Amino acid sequence: MAAGGAGGNSGKTYSFKVVLLGEGCVGKTSLVLRYCENKFNDKHITTLQASFLTKKLNITGKRVNLAIWDTAGQERFHALGPIYYRDSNGAILVYDITDEDSFQKVKNWVKELRKMLGNEICLCIVGNKVDLDKDRHVSVEEAESYSESVGAKHYHTSAKLNKGIEELFLDLCKRMMETAQAEERLKGNGASQSASSRRGVQIVDDEPQATPAGGCCSSG
Amino acid sequence: MASAADCGGKPLQNAMKMAKVAIQLDGGSKHKEAYCEYLRTINYISHALLEEAAPQQEREVVVVVVEVERMLRLAEQCLERAKSFIEKSADPLDLSAAASCSPAQSEPHQTTDLPVATAADTGTSPTKTGHRRSVSDGGGEPPPFLPPDVFQKLQTEESHDTSKKELTPIEQASRLNQKLKANYEARLARLPPGQANQKTSLKLSLQRQMMENLIIAKARQDALQRKMEERRLRLQEEANRRFSASGAMTAEEQEQRSLYTNVLEYEQDHDWPKLWKANMEGNPEDVTLVSRLVSYLLSRSDHPVVKLLRKHQYRVYNRLYPIVSKGRSRALLLRPAPPPETQRRSLSTVSFSTGLASPPSRDFHADSDEEGEEPHTQASVDRENSFEDLEQFLTQLDWTPPDGSAEDAVSESEPTCDPSTLSEVQGQEMRALKEHLKATVKDIHIAIDQLLSLCLLSFECLNTSSSKDLCLASIEEAFFTPLWSALLTLFRKVNMEREQAFETSMTLYQDASPGDIGVPLKLFPQEPDALQGSYPYESAVQELKLLLNDCCPQKKLECIVRTLRVICACAEDYRCLHEGDSAHRTAAIGADDLLPILSYVALRSQCPQLLSECAALEEFIHEGYLIGEEGYCLTSLQSALAYVESLHSAAAPPPEDKLG
Repeated sequence: MAAGGAGGNSGKTYSFKVVLLGEGCVGKTSLVLRYCENKFNDKHITTLQASFLTKKLNITGKRVNLAIWDTAGQERFHALGPIYYRDSNGAILVYDITDEDSFQKVKNWVKELRKMLGNEICLCIVGNKVDLDKDRHVSVEEAESYSESVGAKHYHTSAKLNKGIEELFLDLCKRMMETAQAEERLKGNGASQSASSRRGVQIVDDEPQATPAGGCCSSG
Repeated sequence: MASAADCGGKPLQNAMKMAKVAIQLDGGSKHKEAYCEYLRTINYISHALLEEAAPQQEREVVVVVVEVERMLRLAEQCLERAKSFIEKSADPLDLSAAASCSPAQSEPHQTTDLPVATAADTGTSPTKTGHRRSVSDGGGEPPPFLPPDVFQKLQTEESHDTSKKELTPIEQASRLNQKLKANYEARLARLPPGQANQKTSLKLSLQRQMMENLIIAKARQDALQRKMEERRLRLQEEANRRFSASGAMTAEEQEQRSLYTNVLEYEQDHDWPKLWKANMEGNPEDVTLVSRLVSYLLSRSDHPVVKLLRKHQYRVYNRLYPIVSKGRSRALLLRPAPPPETQRRSLSTVSFSTGLASPPSRDFHADSDEEGEEPHTQASVDRENSFEDLEQFLTQLDWTPPDGSAEDAVSESEPTCDPSTLSEVQGQEMRALKEHLKATVKDIHIAIDQLLSLCLLSFECLNTSSSKDLCLASIEEAFFTPLWSALLTLFRKVNMEREQAFETSMTLYQDASPGDIGVPLKLFPQEPDALQGSYPYESAVQELKLLLNDCCPQKKLECIVRTLRVICACAEDYRCLHEGDSAHRTAAIGADDLLPILSYVALRSQCPQLLSECAALEEFIHEGYLIGEEGYCLTSLQSALAYVESLHSAAAPPPEDKLG
């Protein structure tokens, strides 16, 4: 296991921790399973199933190891929330578009995350179950304007139809890489820096759907 | 002053009694017995002083310094007398007979004498430090933790058999001389009686031979030393080059450099490092080689890495011992605190009895300073009568502690105190314990960093990221294994309240079903038939309990990961029971299901100390594992334990949550 959080040297492997937050019924488990599912192995089940998943990616020639931490949505486990989000690079906050209450919960988590981790963490607010759009109770405008106001990005997904999930994760990874690179620049490690800035942050789309080799799932 | 009388008075009196017996025997020309009795006195004194000195604070040693001085002088005089027997003794056989009889004699003597002494001690003074108490308690049951010096000895002995030390020239000579002496004695014994002339000539020739041997050895030793010195200088330069000596060095850099010099020196004397290095270069693909090399390295007790390891272990254990060995001092602390006028003294007693390096506050410090002042002047009155010889000690045999009455006053007024001062003392003690814990954890991190870097300096081939991890794992295992139980004891003291809360929940929810803890019905079988006499998730509970048996953080983490995997596998099985074989894969276990199950498993494990184990693991888990599966599992277990801990205050498990 590579030591350290984000970064490394010119061979560069980024290791990112992403926490998954959301109430019990919003479908975060299905979402993350969909993402990490191995399309070439039907029988694939990870050892910790959907609670902890890892995924290796290759984005613009850089290796990225994602560790996705599921958290319990139940109120009674929230006291220990902070030890889950500690050192996270990103957070995915999931709500159910048919459940106004689950959106309110997302707002609470955003407040807590910003309080605990400041602006270092990349936030994604995800309205899941867009296949049930006819029962929508959270308006698109409200969700998007709220997300913008807190510096988060908003996505619409459907775990059932496998819609919007790849985009969500790919986007998040790119943002986390940018944050990590900005941090490196601030620290000013000269030698490795010149190489990475020459390549630039111009991100060529990995086309994850077409190249499953880049997105293979490893059992954590 | 109470402690002065307490700590010094009784052992001194006992020692004096023993010495008196010896002197009486001496006077009665019973040389053998007198010799044994002197030795016994010395033995008793050194035992008593060792008990006093080892775990205590310097400050208190100052308080009883007069007593210590007296005891030491008494021992010195006994030693002088004992030596005089050997010099006087015309017939060495006689003496050796006396010496050989002494252990058999002294054994029953000691067992009758010492407990009596300590029993008398406990009887008279109720305000003693926790330390004295533990000494007298120690008679019956073996103490749970070894004193640091014994610990160190065991540690070094453990690896001793692997390396035989070469004797220095002086040691060789002294062996030779011992043989010569034995020959001489044998010859002397064969000599017919009355041949004084022969005897002297034999003795003279022995002395001459022995002297010659020593002189030769000394010369060889000096030459060897010069050579070693030269080599050391040469290697030091090599080390300096390696570290590109430039500018100012920090103390750590300097230390590292000298350690590296030791490594170079070692490599001059031993071939195996070279062979291993060549082997590593020859087989870069062989991953087992790294672990094998490191474990071989750790088995060489004379290698600088291992020496450094032992040094750090000893240091950490030394830090832990005064606290963890005082399990019984809790009883002392839980007693009602003395009223305000005596409170100061008891505060300082508390801090000493826990053996903390730093009193928690400045005021606290000042108080104990004042306290120290008083007995000192008191005692210095006694010091005026400087005793020149043994006889003078004996005149003081009936000397009693001058402040015995003050002690009584304290004990009488003790029960009349308010509990608020008690909690204040406890709060202070807890703060000090936490500080101590923090400092110990920091020491351990520094020690392990230093060990790893010395290891990598010694074997550059290990300096790749994967080898480094393996190397670190081996070092940690060697480092933590002998220390863990002491370390955990400290963590448990700090987390005592949490563990108690956990225990309360444990008793309250003894018979709870998984459903009571919030596990969804589909994830455990309701019919008892399906379980065949056990309970749901029993295999996970068994796995979790194994954690207590491991002694190194890495292994414990692996155990937690296995526990969570077993939970997932069990949950999968139980769901299949409900839904038949056609369970859809999308309905896998997420954290919403995992945490209630894990809480149930933690509850059934009935191990409150898991809280402390996890607190310790959190300190010692590697950064690299922190965001991985190990980190996730540890975090989940901590979360579950905290939930169980809070269960008893929540009266009933909250059923209001929506369960996925």
